[in-house]
Amino acid sequence: MKILAKSELLNVLKKWSDSYDIFAPGIKETGDIIFDRFDENTFTLGYGKPSLPQKSEVLPQSEIIFELKKGEYREVITGNGKMLFGMRACDAMGMRQAGSFMNRDMPDPYYRLKEEEILKVVMACAGPQNETCFCTAVGSGPFAEKGFDLQFYDVGDEFLVEAESEKGEKLIADGPFGEVDDAEAGTRIEEFKTNASMSVEEVPALKEAMNRLRDGSVNEGVWEYFGRKCIVCGGCVFVCPTCTCFNVSDYVTKPGEGLRVRSWDACLFGGFTRETSGHNPRGTQALRLKRRHEHKLMHYNETDIQEGLCGCVGCGRCSDYCPVHIGTLEVVKAIAEA
Amino acid sequence: MAGLAATFGSGAMTNSIVEAEKADLFFIIGTNTTSQHPLIGSRIINAKERGAKIILADPRKIQLADYADIHLRHNIGTDVALLNGMMNIIIEEGIYDRQYVEERTENLDQLKAVVSRYTTRVVEQITGVPVSDLEGAARAYATTGKAMLFYAMGITQHATGTDNVKTCANLAMLTGHVGRPSTGVNPLRGQNNVQGACDMGALPNVFSGYQQVANEEVRKKFERAWGVEKLDGKVGLTITKMMAAAQKGDLRSLYIMGENPMLSDPDSSHIELALSNLDFLVVQDIFMSETALLADVVLPATSFAETAGTYTNTERRVQMAHKAIDPLGSARDDWDIICEVSRRSGYPMSYRSTADILKEINELTPSYAGITRERLTKGFGLQWPCPNEEHPGTPYLHKDKFTKGLGSFLPCDFKPVSEVPDEEYGFLLTTGRIYYHYHTGTMTRRISILEREAPEPLVEINPDDAKRLGIRNNDEVELISRRGSIKVKAEVTDRVPERVVFSTFHFHEAPVNLLTNPVFDPDSGIPEYKGCAVKVRRCA
Repeated sequence: MKILAKSELLNVLKKWSDSYDIFAPGIKETGDIIFDRFDENTFTLGYGKPSLPQKSEVLPQSEIIFELKKGEYREVITGNGKMLFGMRACDAMGMRQAGSFMNRDMPDPYYRLKEEEILKVVMACAGPQNETCFCTAVGSGPFAEKGFDLQFYDVGDEFLVEAESEKGEKLIADGPFGEVDDAEAGTRIEEFKTNASMSVEEVPALKEAMNRLRDGSVNEGVWEYFGRKCIVCGGCVFVCPTCTCFNVSDYVTKPGEGLRVRSWDACLFGGFTRETSGHNPRGTQALRLKRRHEHKLMHYNETDIQEGLCGCVGCGRCSDYCPVHIGTLEVVKAIAEA
Repeated sequence: MAGLAATFGSGAMTNSIVEAEKADLFFIIGTNTTSQHPLIGSRIINAKERGAKIILADPRKIQLADYADIHLRHNIGTDVALLNGMMNIIIEEGIYDRQYVEERTENLDQLKAVVSRYTTRVVEQITGVPVSDLEGAARAYATTGKAMLFYAMGITQHATGTDNVKTCANLAMLTGHVGRPSTGVNPLRGQNNVQGACDMGALPNVFSGYQQVANEEVRKKFERAWGVEKLDGKVGLTITKMMAAAQKGDLRSLYIMGENPMLSDPDSSHIELALSNLDFLVVQDIFMSETALLADVVLPATSFAETAGTYTNTERRVQMAHKAIDPLGSARDDWDIICEVSRRSGYPMSYRSTADILKEINELTPSYAGITRERLTKGFGLQWPCPNEEHPGTPYLHKDKFTKGLGSFLPCDFKPVSEVPDEEYGFLLTTGRIYYHYHTGTMTRRISILEREAPEPLVEINPDDAKRLGIRNNDEVELISRRGSIKVKAEVTDRVPERVVFSTFHFHEAPVNLLTNPVFDPDSGIPEYKGCAVKVRRCA
């Protein structure tokens, strides 16, 4: 096991910047915390829950996947070799689940290359970042069990650092990273993990809601209630680490030339499921919300959840941001109580 | 804005968006809030869930109708009668705020004289609203301490728009609902910077900060600042009057920025004639709009992502925006284009950046004096009036006294829509917007997902009317007014009452403003988009 003095962290990041394009939490003039290109002047460790997961590094909000020019066409597959420093465990789990979904059966080359080239450095959480965190209920955190290159544990004036991949091991092989006795480090990490896990609140409603969904015993009034107030902004989908719906559209850029672009989409938009005839199998907002939560809490579970409990990783962002409070926390509570 | 300026002394939302979170009652008239201002609509829904009351006045069953304690589905264009009726009840029952009215307002007697004619029976007849609902709404609004009134284009886009606004203001003053947190008269502005455009004097009668061009001292101040002589003190023309002048040949050239009157102005076949009659038309825009196609010169401007500067939103909050990408192609910033045109016309302007421009705004505009670039970069904006750099900004207006001193009751009488349905044109067409598109669609119709969500124009028609006319959902129908006709698909829905049809102006394929009536509010120049007579016919 390796150990790093906190005072050395900036130097390490600067050194890594020579070989990686590092994205890390930074604090803006307005006080917003954004995961952005590493900048030693704005870098912060007091970043709590980043406002967005790092999904857009593997599935950009919009990306060109095809270029058409006179007499030729070209598929555009890009990677970016980024290091994501300071990911939270829930987001790392989200990326694992989404990766499984995107590459199962028919691998998605645009997604996969970016995913392969990304280096994930997780910063384990010592406790919940705010009142909507429920990673322990879904088995995604507050620390990562798998699916990272490096994981940092903040144990006071220093970090204990564990490597899961070869690339990770190389990064901490020497320099300011020191050796620490495995047994001693293991004890400290166990203590960290126990305290962290204990401090995240349990959500008994979650399993109850999953059972009711599986048994088909959910009161339909729940979906009517949420469907009535949803303002169809799609925000819950866009901030979700495991939502990967996209749309593909073609643009003419000049006569005879064009682009094929894919961009984020949302199953909560009516047009997502509307058929050519005009018929929509999910014709109301209530049905669309039902479908979304069934997918997260039931259908996804059979295929892509890795070691998690379901297709929700408990980051709580949908509850943080939904203007009318239709987050997974509110939804599972409503299902369990209805 | 003219209506609020006359009654209170400033034309803007009196209170702040966040204050909705503490309000106990919402009176919502002429705004489809969840659709057009969804983050304000959301706060209203949340407030309802914590126990606040909602009184909705809207002919259509919009999303908020599901949440309304009382939904007043008054006939289109009968807002003044509805509000006068409420005030009459409030005065008769003695539940108005006597102390407030005495200390802070004037002209109560005139108000009483006018509204006393609006008895419940009369109002029921004009508006179609049952007496019990009218009484319920009047009592709830008058007796709830924290009651916010919201309105939008449903109030203003009538030939009686200014009367409608004044009457809203009368009701709020009568009940003491102005000048405290979580109250107020709150016009929701439809665009991210339309408040800013007005504040900066993009109106025919004022310089920035509503400083009158007719005032000689004001003109002197601007002459000194700009190093010019004899600024014109004559009030200019509103857009609608410009079009009429162009058609007559009195106006010879026009420079249009970021506006698409070919789709957005009423009776648009006449707009085309007017624009074609000009000697010279310049259009500055980010896309080749229907209007730009008619121009002699098109100047490509930058989109929001390619430019920096400030926006002033509906709650008078000035916010900073930064440039995300460099301008594409030959696009240039609007201010930069104007400087270049000015330089070539013999008046060099010396601004190097938006920072220089904001500095001049600070110097010349008292309400913006303390809204400096330095302060804006540090936080989430400042609300005017903000007269100096130590001032924290103003979350709500008219605390203790109105901007103009005493608030004036300016009572109005009800006037029906200019074109009432008759035997031949039996429906009232009301126009508006939908969630997915913005104005004439120059931007939103180029966004693939928005276009997928709402790909074509629809007209809402009540199921009973549809049945009578043999119209089924998705049938193509023709809407015909005295000025033109369009073909659209029918959406059969009880969202609209009988004898009313609703459509939007987003779609060039079926420009609804070919049908609308070019009559204007005499004070503000706003056209009557919200009501004109049409007939409806199923296409064979």
